[in-house]
Amino acid sequence: MASTSTKQVQIIYGDATLGLRGDDFGYIFSYEQGGLESLVQHGKEWLYRAPKPTFWRATTDNDRGNGFSVDSAMWLGTDMFLKCTSAAVAVNGQPIPLPISPENNKYSNHEFADYVTITFTYETLTVPATTVTAAYTVNGSGEIRVAVDYHGKQGLPQLPALGLRFIMPTPATQFTYDGLSGETYPDRMAGAVPGTYTVDGLPVTKYLIPEECGMHMATKQVTVTRNQTLNNADRSDAPFSLTFEQDEAPFAFSCLPYTAEELENATHYEELPAPRRTVLTVFGAVRGVGGIDSWGADVEEQYHISAEEDHHFGFKIQGV
Amino acid sequence: MTPEISWLDDPETFRVNQLPAHSDHRIYQTEAEVQAQQSSLVQSLDGTWQFKFAKNPSERPVGFWQPDYDRSSFDTITVPGHIELAGYGQIKYINTTYPWEGKIYRRPAYALSADDKGEGMFSQGEDNTVGAYVTTFSLNRSLQGKHIVVQFDGVEQAMYLWLNGHFVGYAEDSFSQSEFDLTPYLKDGENLMAVEVFKRSTAAFIEDQDMFRFSGIFRSVRLVGQPLLHVRDMKLRPNVDSDLKTGDFNLELALSRETGEDGSVAVEVTDAEGQIIYSTQKTVNDHFEVDHETIPNIHLWQHTDPYLYHLKITVMDEQGDTLEIVPFDFGFRRFEMKDKIMTLNGKRLVINGVNRHEWDSKRGRSVTMADMKADLATFKANNINAVRTCHYPDQIDWYYLCDHTGVYMMAENNLESHGTWQKMGAVEPSYNVPGSVTQWREAVLDRARSNYEAFKNHTAILFWSLGNESYAGDDIAAMNAFYKDHDDTRLVHYEGVCRNRVYEDRISDMESMMYDPPKAIEEYLTNDPKKPFIDCEFMHDMGNSLGGMSSYDALLDKFPMYQGGFIWDFIDQALEVKDEVTGQTVLRYGGDFDDRHSDYEFSADGLMFADRTPKPALQEVKYYYGKHIN
Repeated sequence: MASTSTKQVQIIYGDATLGLRGDDFGYIFSYEQGGLESLVQHGKEWLYRAPKPTFWRATTDNDRGNGFSVDSAMWLGTDMFLKCTSAAVAVNGQPIPLPISPENNKYSNHEFADYVTITFTYETLTVPATTVTAAYTVNGSGEIRVAVDYHGKQGLPQLPALGLRFIMPTPATQFTYDGLSGETYPDRMAGAVPGTYTVDGLPVTKYLIPEECGMHMATKQVTVTRNQTLNNADRSDAPFSLTFEQDEAPFAFSCLPYTAEELENATHYEELPAPRRTVLTVFGAVRGVGGIDSWGADVEEQYHISAEEDHHFGFKIQGV
Repeated sequence: MTPEISWLDDPETFRVNQLPAHSDHRIYQTEAEVQAQQSSLVQSLDGTWQFKFAKNPSERPVGFWQPDYDRSSFDTITVPGHIELAGYGQIKYINTTYPWEGKIYRRPAYALSADDKGEGMFSQGEDNTVGAYVTTFSLNRSLQGKHIVVQFDGVEQAMYLWLNGHFVGYAEDSFSQSEFDLTPYLKDGENLMAVEVFKRSTAAFIEDQDMFRFSGIFRSVRLVGQPLLHVRDMKLRPNVDSDLKTGDFNLELALSRETGEDGSVAVEVTDAEGQIIYSTQKTVNDHFEVDHETIPNIHLWQHTDPYLYHLKITVMDEQGDTLEIVPFDFGFRRFEMKDKIMTLNGKRLVINGVNRHEWDSKRGRSVTMADMKADLATFKANNINAVRTCHYPDQIDWYYLCDHTGVYMMAENNLESHGTWQKMGAVEPSYNVPGSVTQWREAVLDRARSNYEAFKNHTAILFWSLGNESYAGDDIAAMNAFYKDHDDTRLVHYEGVCRNRVYEDRISDMESMMYDPPKAIEEYLTNDPKKPFIDCEFMHDMGNSLGGMSSYDALLDKFPMYQGGFIWDFIDQALEVKDEVTGQTVLRYGGDFDDRHSDYEFSADGLMFADRTPKPALQEVKYYYGKHIN
């Protein structure tokens, strides 16, 4: 992989983490947490918990009516309890032995590279099980290229969703995206108008029963803006932003204050907890919402997500 | 006449002393009143009434209609409104099964056996709540000396009426206007009107719509002072010649002549620019007719150009003084079936429609003019060109508004009996009513008649619909025949015949299905179909839905006999309440009021949320409907 940055990224070969630093950015990948534990740009933390692949969507009325959630229920458990089984590190494209103690005793506080890739492998809790990898490649400008690969397995029920979920410590004040107007799904995006849109707050579409919502298909980039952190020493309320942009192809995303499980659990909007986080999920595959009826008709076949086939998606998190 | 509570149990008793249904035209005394749309001949009785609630008939205040009855224990209630939303009676939502499911065993009278009269089923029903309503009024000066009728626009589900202690009449059919003559019982000064409203009657079996189950006087009540010469009924037939240019204007008036009054009637038709295009004046008789008057170069009415002509009927006494003015705006349009395709003004009709329940999250089905105007603004903004009044006649204003806005109407009767033939999703018509049960026939025919007579002059109505999900039998065939006998300018719709094909040549001019997948529709259309196809309900927009509309849209281009459909539905039915924990205003649905058996959130299928904010799916509707604006 060629790096376009002239700067180099500093590598901190920790005992539990791999730190990657540069001017005004610092990222910590945790072997214990099984993912990117910290993403700091300009002194602001962007992660509350390590991002993980996500597989569930809060059941829509259509899903409930046709029994989809029942048939695909094992993806809910996987979504909640996904385990990381391994991590692997490559420096300038060359794999190295996992640099934990004592392997990392050979390094110093002055280790640099053009780019570093760390790949986490996750095993699903499905029967049969399969694996998903999330690979992060960081260069000297702090740009992170993310690649997610799902490995299809015969016998697995259709996927409700496939994405990588970032939970941010505080609620976004707004997000701006370059994509389609409104809330869109693969089978409901013809009426949308391409453009640049800013959404204030983190609105949850007020379906009478909280359910999957807020999807934005065919997005070129999205910038999330917050104005608070959880850092007790940071009293500023000046806005700060992080941008996710397309890499190989446009992506879908939703930016909500809740996970699919939180939405799933509520029978009314008012049962949702007070918004405290930002849940930004970048999706590589989105299931249609359907609409023929709500008591049995399936989503049209071309809008299903097969779990028996491989899926790949990638995007970039802008550096500084 | 002595009112009998047993009428509640008898499907053959559904109107007692009600005046015959007639056109919904309005009367004014002067041109200035017409302009202001404020008639001095009308006196509203909306407002605060005295009210007493009873949990069942045995606890009701018998005799409360007597002037000397001690009503000191009565509360007050706002009319119009639902009893349940005023805090009396449990709120309940249910779809197909009857609201007494799991609590009371009932079978419709005569459905299983000719001997089964259902005596006491509702008159002694432990679930049959009763509202005793009382109001007083003194006639406005402008109504005094006139023939006074009272109009109840909607009372759910059975009502008995008294004036000054005299029994006046009885009505069922919650969604049609009930009108009674008060003249014989009026007195000078203050009059005492009493209405006893029962939540259930035999009508319950045929008013099983998928909706919150309410009761009460939920639409307006008014007195009308009819002059001694009065247009009782008006039948307007503005036909269009096949050249689509020549109008054929027909008008029939039925006049009330209290004491054989003499006088005259002037008729004037003006175009939208105010030019008089036709006028005539005749001495009155009981009947008045304009027969096949040719009007050249007419401007056609359609969705994209709802051009209306203005009809003014002036009724004058012998001296030539105006007694009443009837204004009515109408359009010229030609709707017909040509080569098995429904055409409007010579072109294939494409229905970009919605089903619309009357709904207001604060007021239930007691909707306001502001609600109606907001809905039409949403229609316009999203290329919605048609509405099905599911599954009952709407408030009268809605029909006028649709004429003016150019919204094609499928005017549906108040009929839905799916609980008698559809059980847990299966077709099981073992005790279906109305079916072919003779004792139920007149009740449903009366509903067809009320719907037709009230709304027959509205240009916007292209279809009469016999009701919803009531299976098919001789009784519904009789309703179909009624419309065919009375109206050759519109088509008749009924979906339920697809459940009982024996009747397919006697019921419905079109093949109508609900929720048929696009592939099934294609199969019908490629197999030498008898009738054009419409979806009376499709794209079930429950929650986050409305995906895959492109597959229906594709049928429009492929099959001329596929003529579009009505999305289910326009607005979520949910109720605004104060959250018991946070005090916030929140929306609640079936089961949230401890109401069981329930279908919970199934009432939330709208393009709009219940509070009239749009759902995201609306942009998709706007796009696809915008491709076929006509």
